[in-house]
Amino acid sequence: MPRSPSEGRPPLLSLASVGVCYRRRRTLRSAGKLHWALSDVSFEVMSGETVGILGGNGSGKTTLLKVLAGIIEPDRGKVERNHSSISMLSLQVGFLPQLSGRENALLSSVLLGEDRTAAKRNLDAIVRFAGLEECIDDPLATYSSGMRARLGFSVAYHTTPELLLIDEVLGVGDEEFRLKSTAAIKELIKSDRTVVLVSHNLPTMRELCDRVVWIQDGESRMVGPAEAVIEAYLS
Amino acid sequence: MTPRRTKDILLYKTYAELKAEAQRNFLGFLWWVIEPILFMLVFYFVFGRLLGARPEAFIPFLLVGLVVWLWGQATITQGASAITANHGLLNQAFVPKVLFPTVIFLKNTFKFLFALLMLLIFLVAYGIEASLIWLEAIPVLAVGGLFVLGSAYLACALTPFFPDLQMLIDNGLRMLFFMSGIFYDIDTLSTSYKAVFQANPAAVLIDSLRSILLAGEHADWWRLGGVLVGALCVGGAGYAIMRVNESRYAKIAF
Repeated sequence: MPRSPSEGRPPLLSLASVGVCYRRRRTLRSAGKLHWALSDVSFEVMSGETVGILGGNGSGKTTLLKVLAGIIEPDRGKVERNHSSISMLSLQVGFLPQLSGRENALLSSVLLGEDRTAAKRNLDAIVRFAGLEECIDDPLATYSSGMRARLGFSVAYHTTPELLLIDEVLGVGDEEFRLKSTAAIKELIKSDRTVVLVSHNLPTMRELCDRVVWIQDGESRMVGPAEAVIEAYLS
Repeated sequence: MTPRRTKDILLYKTYAELKAEAQRNFLGFLWWVIEPILFMLVFYFVFGRLLGARPEAFIPFLLVGLVVWLWGQATITQGASAITANHGLLNQAFVPKVLFPTVIFLKNTFKFLFALLMLLIFLVAYGIEASLIWLEAIPVLAVGGLFVLGSAYLACALTPFFPDLQMLIDNGLRMLFFMSGIFYDIDTLSTSYKAVFQANPAAVLIDSLRSILLAGEHADWWRLGGVLVGALCVGGAGYAIMRVNESRYAKIAF
């Protein structure tokens, strides 16, 4: 068996019995109600691997991604982190319609965790990938929704967190850009980057993930090699 | 969160919001000056002309009060909704919440300094002599800035948990506006209320600036010291609440 590069090193991220609870806002006429979106989730992410999160609608996948990203803290259980940076592949973060495409790209990169010099260095590549060389200095308000989507994708695609979280491998924009962006994400996931991927698409999971975590009703039902977990999920 | 990333976000987001605001209409950043002037005209007309009860040199008197008031009012009202307004963003990426009201403060302070510069030019043109004592306005404004920032922190920290606060803050500020001696001189009030009015931080700041800029007199540093202590308490509480609840804000459904 080939030695994986992460062998012997602690996992980049590990979750132990994590639960997250939401409370609906209390008003004069209704009491706040508790709702456990996640109740008991445990798994680890090792350096360099791609972990898939599998589960039906309402199983808690989005909440789980937010916990992994550090956006919300669990109400019970433990998250242990050994990574330098983590972020979600989020599109059009912090975009303001009055600013130019270039300014939005810089702002969005910085908000997603890039430092200023890296953001500036990436700018040309971002613009080129989005195919917006002609109008990058026009206000975003003049862009079509497809153009905005392309810029948003390109910015997110060029961020380089140590641990990348992806909610569905969905291409954006027109047919041509959709193919290009889907292929780019797949390429990115297959590289030696560490990725946690949420998806409904089983063939994509099979193709891209080393291991899969099956989430049901807020609990991790099964964690293991992609093929085995997907088989159990289907039966 | 490294200090460097904090600085980058503050810088870019403040710049972006200033620019976005200036792009929203034709006159753009000129509104930073026009707004206090329009305000001033209303009060000049009502109190200076219709009611005829006006202190000496009413226009400079009004302008100093209004420029300072608008700075604080805008920062605190916008600060109260700083987290709610960025709800989308804080569900997409981790950003320390304290940066949101700080951006609001920096944005409004930049606008205020621009308006203040215009005000100083106006004062000189009006015939008030510029003097070295004007430099004393710098520490006064620093205390004022801390108070405004601190209040924005506390408003921002609490409003997401108690949304009704936004209404209380809006209405409280409206009341405070009439109690801060912006279009009248608090010293002319009857003595029984004077102490209450003078305890108001906004009144202390406006009063101090008027002493320095219009009368060429020293500010009352004992009262300003009180404002500073208040600013540190209020701001410290707001900061602590935001830090403790850092990851709760994203869970609130707005």
